[in-house]
Amino acid sequence: MHLIAQTLVDGLVLGGIYALSAVGFSLIFGVLHVINLSHGILVLIGAYLALIFSQALQVDPLLTLPLVMAVLFAAGYPYQRFLIQRAVNQSGLGSMLLTFGVALMLQNVMIWLFSPDMKSITPGYAFASFRVAGLTFDAVRVSALVASLVLLSCLAMLLKFSALGRVIRATAQQTMAARLCGVNVPHVYALTFAVSAAFAGAAGIVIGIILPFSPADEALWTLNAFVVVVLGGVGSPAGALIGGLLLGIVSTLTAQYIGPAFPNVTMFLLLVIMLLVRPNGLLGNAFAASR
Amino acid sequence: MRRHHLLLVLGCAALLAAGPLALPPFYVRVGQMMLYSAALGVAWTILGGFAGYASFGHAAFIGVGAFAAGLIEVQFATLPPFLALLMGLLTGGAVCAILAAAIAYPILRLRGTFFAIAMLGVSHVCAELNNNVDALQGSLGLNFPPVAPDSVAPEAFFYELYLFAGLAVLLIAWRIRQSRFGAGLLSIREDEDTARMLGVPTERYKRAAFIISAILTGMLGVIYAHSLGYITTDSVYRDDTNLNLVVFSLLGGMGTLFGPVIGAGLLVFITQVILGRLLDFHLFATGLLLVILVLAAPGGALGFIRGWRRRRVQVPAE
Amino acid sequence: MKRRDVLLGAATLAAPAIRSAQAQTHKTLVFGGSVPLTGAAAETGLNVNNGYLTATKYLNELLGGVEIGGEKYRIQLKLFDDASDPARATTLIQRQIDDGTDFFLGSFGSNIVLPTAAITERAHKPMVQTGGGSDAIFTRGFKYVFGMYPRATRQFAAAAALFKTLHPTPQSYSVIYTNDAFSKTAAEGVKLSCDAAGLKRLDTYELPQKPTDVSSVLGSVRSKTPDLLICVMHDEDSLLIARQMVATRTNVKLLFQGLGPQLASFRAALGKYSEALLCSTYWDESVPYKDKFFGNSKQFADYYHSKFTRPIAYHTAGAAACILTYILAMQAANSIDPKAVRDALAAADFETFYSRIKFTPQGDGDPLLMGGMVAQVQKGKLETVFPVAAKTADPIYPAPPWDKKA
Repeated sequence: MHLIAQTLVDGLVLGGIYALSAVGFSLIFGVLHVINLSHGILVLIGAYLALIFSQALQVDPLLTLPLVMAVLFAAGYPYQRFLIQRAVNQSGLGSMLLTFGVALMLQNVMIWLFSPDMKSITPGYAFASFRVAGLTFDAVRVSALVASLVLLSCLAMLLKFSALGRVIRATAQQTMAARLCGVNVPHVYALTFAVSAAFAGAAGIVIGIILPFSPADEALWTLNAFVVVVLGGVGSPAGALIGGLLLGIVSTLTAQYIGPAFPNVTMFLLLVIMLLVRPNGLLGNAFAASR
Repeated sequence: MRRHHLLLVLGCAALLAAGPLALPPFYVRVGQMMLYSAALGVAWTILGGFAGYASFGHAAFIGVGAFAAGLIEVQFATLPPFLALLMGLLTGGAVCAILAAAIAYPILRLRGTFFAIAMLGVSHVCAELNNNVDALQGSLGLNFPPVAPDSVAPEAFFYELYLFAGLAVLLIAWRIRQSRFGAGLLSIREDEDTARMLGVPTERYKRAAFIISAILTGMLGVIYAHSLGYITTDSVYRDDTNLNLVVFSLLGGMGTLFGPVIGAGLLVFITQVILGRLLDFHLFATGLLLVILVLAAPGGALGFIRGWRRRRVQVPAE
Repeated sequence: MKRRDVLLGAATLAAPAIRSAQAQTHKTLVFGGSVPLTGAAAETGLNVNNGYLTATKYLNELLGGVEIGGEKYRIQLKLFDDASDPARATTLIQRQIDDGTDFFLGSFGSNIVLPTAAITERAHKPMVQTGGGSDAIFTRGFKYVFGMYPRATRQFAAAAALFKTLHPTPQSYSVIYTNDAFSKTAAEGVKLSCDAAGLKRLDTYELPQKPTDVSSVLGSVRSKTPDLLICVMHDEDSLLIARQMVATRTNVKLLFQGLGPQLASFRAALGKYSEALLCSTYWDESVPYKDKFFGNSKQFADYYHSKFTRPIAYHTAGAAACILTYILAMQAANSIDPKAVRDALAAADFETFYSRIKFTPQGDGDPLLMGGMVAQVQKGKLETVFPVAAKTADPIYPAPPWDKKA
């Protein structure tokens, strides 16, 4: 009983982090209909930036969040507007290959800049843990989880209540109608991408403090994001959260009770079953309601 | 592909077959890579190009085919090498057929990018199972006895083998394309729902295309494993293979028979011959190439040539 | 890779071209081969590459080249990135053979080394490599391929040889390993070497890749206690086992942990309980071997640190030793004819700063001379107890039980 409770708790903590790591991917997928294969690289850039900033400024890595998000926002806008947008008009494969090409280039650049080695960010509370009701909680993982939940809520509110959020939702639901109402669609697409990139960077920080990372990891985070989106549903922070938590719990339960080698196998089986039963994910496509 | 095209292909093949006699060994190996890649590209295009189900996970079949063949050949170590290879080919193809048939129903219900990424998932799962289940020997590695006779250089032997295999794959793809089955696949690519409404047995067709594509890919994987002599999971389940198969078609011309052949030839030439000497730069260069390709020639080389021809024809009319 | 290292690497590679004027007086000696600088093995690939660069730069710049058969040679490296892709590696190795490269250095990973070695073997060009340990490389009858480590299943031979010299002779052992490729292969080696040494195997325990609790395994170790308990796994898992053994007072006469006790942090974490633990060590700056190029390991490390900011790893030293081994073999053969050099390599019995170099007839490293060393924690310090040539202390056996450790 105790073991299963601990496994579930570990899964939930992991799941919150998966959710944050996927939300940017989900938003781009939902609004732009682009599979961003450079998503994992954006996540890693966030992690490396957090490492650099926290060392240079001598602050806790979580405090570098605004700075990292700003950098990725600023980089994401032109990346979409001047590069991806040119491929969006073609088939879905065009934008996929373009973002894959960019991912390869950036991975190579990161190897030059940061070496292919594993890096890790070690905050002051890295080895601390506390116990509640017989369950062990890792201080780092809990702070990562809290940061993830706060950021996901912020994004949900941004989409729901802000002017930018309204325009993004309108564009996603009825691109043509939004354009007729005077929405500058390429601009909104680029802004959406910039927001997504910023959240990918934020996820990078959170991942960086709990796991070691290296440039070769990028594919892992792209694939994880895809699975989360398929499980939870496209386009919404809530969908990402549900998908992330599900993935986290399935991973830890499998590792504990079936075998340490098998989380990816069960994860994939779950993915296929989900696609068969509910192809749009548990919460459906956040923007498809009015189509 | 019309009749005179067939003659052209056979003529080219005869010319290519003479390659190892004239070329230095490095170019024979480059040719070997080109033929292997082209054959894989054509096998991929039966599903990805004709039916429009672009798979990002065909390396799964390369790996499953290679390991199935290796595991069975170890059991019959006394067979002469040629028979062992033949048995490996049959086993690899059969196991891939079973795998494809087993996953065809669920996975072919997915469309577009969902199918693409689900296949990527399949290849990762196969790789992990292969690596972690002891009996499959993925992490320790599998040996393949040399099959080339001592009098023939191995690179020339595999060159001719790939040429033969490539021609066989091309012929199969061509026959499919000419048949009612092929027309059905094209209709699935253009509009699957309408095709089904018009009475095309879309489910059966795309499942057949998937299985044929898997068998051919698996058999090519068996030959590849023999050409290396020793494989671990990392040798055959490769994400760059997964994506290159898509790139071959995109580079040459999506959905065409010769697109992947041209694309494979170009990409192998660029990455192995032109970028081969770069020490820590080639990943960047490959990425840059993809970006330029998508932005400059979205229809691939064939699309580019066709567009250019069309423009040239249209000029006097204007 | 720091920017500086890349530039430095590029400069070294370009150097022979720039100094073409000097080439009048110096002949060049070309070493070909590949290293994985991108992809999954990039981290080790960079260490190997840096080792090659260090040796080349040192021999060219500080020693002004090497003398073989009365001629001065400058060394030139022609390496390419194989990205751990066997197809790419085999094609590009062939290009180097066509270009007339006579001597090859190895990549990292047996699945790359073996297919490339098959090509160099067929061309009768030697390859000296640090990156492929699989038995498959050394059981094919290759004559031109030499490895700086014993084949995988013999890598425990040194430790097994040590066990036989202990007094009273240990009778039985059990082995615990985690479910990952590295530990699994190593555990195979442990079983082969210990069985061959006449030890009785009581139990084999497989743990998950990331074990979090080993109390059940330790329970069965207590009910069926072997003389030797051998753990092959990564550092952090070794620490977990040691801690739980202390906590549950699971005593054996000797605890051998493949990786772990060689780290100061590991010994600090265990405190007095680390006393008498055994572990494998490969090269570090304190190994006592000498050569005429670098002098000793300390000087090699100092030179490395003056050129690179990246921490030094044993792969780096092993890679540098590949080039030194070649030079020693060429000097012994008095020739740079590939066949003559191959024969000299096969007959090699040299000393380099890295270790003594002697290959088996199949080409892998001699299991006792090149199989790493065995060290024991004694009074908080790591003392080398095997092989005899590098010994700094006698082994303590049997180890005191946990509660008697002072």
